[in-house]
Amino acid sequence: MISEFLSYGFVQRGLAAGSLVAVICALLGVFLVLKRLSLIGDGLSHVCLTGVALGLLTQTNPLYMSVPVVLLSSFGILQLMEKIKVYGDAAIGIVSAAGLAIGILLTALAGGFNADLFGFLFGSILTVGRTEVFACVILLGALLLFFLYFYRDLLAASFDESFARTRGVAVKRLNTVLILFTSLAIVLALKVVGIFLVSALIILPPVTSLLLAKTFKQVLIISCILALVSVWSGVYLSFLFNIPSGATIILINILLLVLAYGYNKIRSAHAR
Amino acid sequence: MPSIIQARGVRFKYTQTWVLQGITFRVRPGDYVGVIGPNGGGKTTLLKLILGLEQGEGVIKLFGQSLSTFKDWHKIGYLAQKSPVAQTRFPISVEEVVLMGLCYDGKHKEATAENLRAVHQALAQTRTEHLAKQIFSNLSIGQQQRVLLARALVSKPQLLILDEPSTALDADSREMFFTLLGELNTKHGVTILLITHDTGEVGKYISKFMYVDRELVFFGDKEEFCHSQKVAEKLGTFAQHTIDHLHNHGHCPLGCTCHHTHAEEQHD
Repeated sequence: MISEFLSYGFVQRGLAAGSLVAVICALLGVFLVLKRLSLIGDGLSHVCLTGVALGLLTQTNPLYMSVPVVLLSSFGILQLMEKIKVYGDAAIGIVSAAGLAIGILLTALAGGFNADLFGFLFGSILTVGRTEVFACVILLGALLLFFLYFYRDLLAASFDESFARTRGVAVKRLNTVLILFTSLAIVLALKVVGIFLVSALIILPPVTSLLLAKTFKQVLIISCILALVSVWSGVYLSFLFNIPSGATIILINILLLVLAYGYNKIRSAHAR
Repeated sequence: MPSIIQARGVRFKYTQTWVLQGITFRVRPGDYVGVIGPNGGGKTTLLKLILGLEQGEGVIKLFGQSLSTFKDWHKIGYLAQKSPVAQTRFPISVEEVVLMGLCYDGKHKEATAENLRAVHQALAQTRTEHLAKQIFSNLSIGQQQRVLLARALVSKPQLLILDEPSTALDADSREMFFTLLGELNTKHGVTILLITHDTGEVGKYISKFMYVDRELVFFGDKEEFCHSQKVAEKLGTFAQHTIDHLHNHGHCPLGCTCHHTHAEEQHD
C-alpha cells in the first residue's frame, strides 16, 4: 500500500514540498514563537488571499502574485509597529483584516469562489509542481545558511532582545530578515496546508518541541522532526481515507501537542 | 578623566507627548547614583535612552564617546526590572545565559575554558554557581534575577545600569544584592546607576540621587537631596513622604551626616 502510494509522481512532489515547507516553518516558528511574533504567520497568510485573488483575476500564477503582496504587508506591519507605535498584535490584525477584505473583493471580481481558490484556502498538497519544490529547496538552503551564520545572534535576540541590543546585536535587521523568510515560507506553504491553516504549521511544532526539549538545539531538531512526522502521516492518512490533507496535518500536530503535554506531566510527576 | 555618562538637553516623546525634557547631568567615575521618582516619571525611559534602546533628542555620551558611535558595550552591564522569560519555557542553561554577557559589538564568545571560568566567577559573585547547569526558565524569579546580575557582571563592567533589580527578590537575596553592588562600587570602583524605590536599604551605599519626574528635578549628593527645598517644593507630599522615610525619625537610612540635626529638629 505504502509503496504504491509513494510510486505516484504527484505524491512524491507533494511529500517533498510538504517536508521542505514543514522544516522551514518549524525552524522559523521556534524563533517567532519565542519572540512572541508567531501570529505574524496568521496575519500574513490571510493577506495571501489578496495575492491569490489577484492571480486568479489576472490569470497569473497566484503564488507569484502572493510574494510581493505578502512582502509589502510584512513591511507594513513593521512600519506600523516602529513608526506609528501600534502594538504588534494590533498591527498584525490591521494588515490581516485589510488583506482579507481586499482578497474577498478581488475574489468577487474574479468570478467568485472556484476550485482553484479552494485549493489555496484549504491546501492541495498533491497538486504541487516541480517549480514549487525547487523554490522550497532554495528557501530552505538560504534559511539554513542564515541560521548557521546568525545562530547566536538569533538565540540572544530571542532570549532577551533589549540586552542583545546593548551588546551590539543588530536585532532590528534580524527581525526584518526573519519576517522576510516567514513571508516567503507562508506563500510556499499555501498549497501544503492552505491559507487558513498555514500559521498552525509555524506555531504547533515549535510549541510541542518546547515542551520536550532540554536544550535550544534540541528545540530546533525536535520541531523539525514533529513537523515532518505530521506532514508524512497527514498526507498518507488523507490519501488512505480521502480526506483533506491540510486539515489532517494540523490535527496530527494538535494530537502530538496533547501527547507531549501528557508525557511532560508524567515526566514531571516521576521527577518529584 | 571623562564622565562615565554625560547627558545634555536630552528629551524624549511618545507620539505627541513629551515623556522627558531638559535632562542634563554628568555621572563621574565611581559614582553610585540612585534614580528615584514616581511611577511613570520617565526613569526607565531615561535608562533606555542611555543604553540606546530608545532614540531621543539631545546629547548622550558614554565614556566620553557619542552614543551613536559607542562600541564598548562590554564596559556596561545592564539588568532590567523583569526577567525576559519570566513565564516562558526557554530551554537554555544558566551557563549559556551568563556567557551571553561576554558578547559585545555583536561578537559572541565560545564556551572555552577561559570564558567558562569567567562565567563561574560571575555566578559565584551572585551565589548562583550551583545553578550553572540548570535550565534558566526553571528557576524561581529571584534566582533568575541573580543569574541575570551575573550576566551583567561577567564582562567586568565599569558601569552598571540597573532598573529596579530587587523587585522580585526576598529579603536575604536583596541584602546580598545590595551588599554586592556596594562592594563593586567601593572596592572595584564600578560606577552604578540604579533605579530603585528601595531607598531605605540601598541608601547607605548610594552617593548621589537623581530625581526624575518627566524632568530632572534633582541631581546631586544625597546630603543635598535631604535638604533640597526644590525637591520638597516640586514634589509636595511625595517628597515629604520620601524625606520622612529617609530620616526615619532621626536615623537617616541614606547614611547622610545630617541625621542628628533632623533628629534634634523633630524632638524640638
